[in-house]
Amino acid sequence: MADVKIENVIKRYANVQVMHGVDVDIKDGEFVVLVGPSGCGKSTLLRMLAGLEEITDGTISIGGRVVNDVIPKDRDIAMVFQSYALYPHKTVYENIGFPLKMAKHPESEIKEKVTNAAEILDLAHLLDRYPKQLSGGQRQRVAMGRAIVRDPQVFLFDEPLSNLDAKLRVTMRVEIKELHQRLGTTIVYVTHDQIEAMTMADKIVVMRDGRVEQIGTPLDLYDFPTNVFVAGFIGSPSMNFVHGKIGEADGKKHFESDNGLILPIPETTAEVGQGVTYGIRPEHIDIGETGIAMKVVVVEPTGSETQIVAKSNGDLIDALVKQRIAARPGSELYYVIDPANVHLFDRDTEQRI
Amino acid sequence: MQSNKLGWILLAPTLVILFFFGVLPFLYVVFVSFHQWNPFAASPEMIFNGAENFRRIVFDEAFLNSLSVTVAFVVFAVLSELIIGYLLAQAFMKEFPGKSIFRTIHTLPLIMAPIIVGSVWKLMTTPSIGIIPHYLDEWFGITMNIGTSAPAAFMTIVIMDIWHWTPLVTLTLIAALVSLPRDPFEQAQIDGANKAQTFWHITLPMITPALVATVFIRLMDALRTVDEVWMLTGGGPGSSTRFLGVHIFKEVFPKTNYGYGSTISVIVLYLTIVACWLLYVSMLAPRKNRKG
Repeated sequence: MADVKIENVIKRYANVQVMHGVDVDIKDGEFVVLVGPSGCGKSTLLRMLAGLEEITDGTISIGGRVVNDVIPKDRDIAMVFQSYALYPHKTVYENIGFPLKMAKHPESEIKEKVTNAAEILDLAHLLDRYPKQLSGGQRQRVAMGRAIVRDPQVFLFDEPLSNLDAKLRVTMRVEIKELHQRLGTTIVYVTHDQIEAMTMADKIVVMRDGRVEQIGTPLDLYDFPTNVFVAGFIGSPSMNFVHGKIGEADGKKHFESDNGLILPIPETTAEVGQGVTYGIRPEHIDIGETGIAMKVVVVEPTGSETQIVAKSNGDLIDALVKQRIAARPGSELYYVIDPANVHLFDRDTEQRI
Repeated sequence: MQSNKLGWILLAPTLVILFFFGVLPFLYVVFVSFHQWNPFAASPEMIFNGAENFRRIVFDEAFLNSLSVTVAFVVFAVLSELIIGYLLAQAFMKEFPGKSIFRTIHTLPLIMAPIIVGSVWKLMTTPSIGIIPHYLDEWFGITMNIGTSAPAAFMTIVIMDIWHWTPLVTLTLIAALVSLPRDPFEQAQIDGANKAQTFWHITLPMITPALVATVFIRLMDALRTVDEVWMLTGGGPGSSTRFLGVHIFKEVFPKTNYGYGSTISVIVLYLTIVACWLLYVSMLAPRKNRKG
């Protein structure tokens, strides 16, 4: 087990710079998720941690040792690939035991460790099978078994659940989290799925275009996103954004959209007339008898909750409510917004105010 | 049913051609192999002599010599081609300046007719005018004469075959290497495998199917090599390079011994099938059994 420090890491391919000074501090035993849209550099960062990709500048250290020039096998890490990267011509037993065999461990020890890992992962009855005879979830577990037997300082996961169907993904999510609790090893996990990130992580690193946008606990990111990008990326369905400026009536500040929609805001340092982006999560909007008059566009009932898309002038705002709403498209209803749940961002810099 | 019928109609021309130019002549050779037949002799009629030709072949020293020379040639040539071809394929997987030019030049021997290859090599190895004996003599003081030295003739043929056919091995192995997934190799890197371990545990097993197919092609081709050898040494000196193909040719044409020549052909075909089968069983079948 070890902590991982990524300091001012830069990556350049010929003339193109893809990583612009990334700093991430990972504590011993932490479950850290790197999340962001495709092309944001999260997989590249993980591959640099693994040693599969060189870094142009900066330092990466694992357990206090700078590993910039250390080859992958000497970094004491284990990695699980999106494709699982199982050896197709080897049995489950041989696949899991491969790292130990390469390190020339005695056969008795290999057997003990493989059997042990197979039991943890419920693979004991599949040890003689070949990868092509396994289901997606089983292959996934074999790949994890191969990582476990090495007892590494850090586990690296590169979108390990992307190739599984939705139901299995939920199951495996729980299994990986359980595994982490059981082994206590540091995990760095890459995904583009913000729900995976929210449910599994101790700490989330949100990335975009080779830069870290925000680092924090899942609830930190949810409650206090530092900018419009993080606010829109974290949370599902994603946050509503309305562009406008700060207005004032009866000595009290409010938000006024470009289309003239007036919305309540919390106490703010923003000045009257300042251009802002107004953010409110759909689940923080209630339906009431009075409030902000909206015209219903679409109602999507899912049973447990109802999603409403409604419009006022030109502004579309989604709401997600627990109760069942029988509103028809075109009819009118009232949104109730608690100002405490509102996020204000500067319209130009997109940073939180 | 409709599409099935159409399929047979589309296949028909091929099947007809195959039947008349492949199956019929083959059956005819098998038929002739049970006869004593010399159409240019005083008694040109075909005389059925049962398995006499096959009995004779077992004790025929000329044939057995041919067989051993051929086997030695196949083993040397095909093994060298595999090793050199694999190394070249690995080299071509990397980027280096002049790669495409080098690859084109390297592939050129492949498009030359064997008879041309034979005559070019004859020109290059003829004592006093050939470039190879000339420089061997000038640089190393070695006298090379494939007309009198059996080892020199044999080695020259092996090297010529390597020169001619290694590009084929390189091309098929490049195709195999290119299609390999990258992830298992990166995984092996992380799992701590060094280069040799990666080759034995990952690369080799994963390209085995392509390797076996390549060996099949080269094996079958090498077993029936005629024209290059005929051109270069004519089977000599003595019978030191009298490969099976050359042996059959000499038996059938100069000696006009059609019956016995056919028998040797049938036996060679049989041996080729056996060799390929053994190869298949030893290299691929173990994987198939693992399925169960």
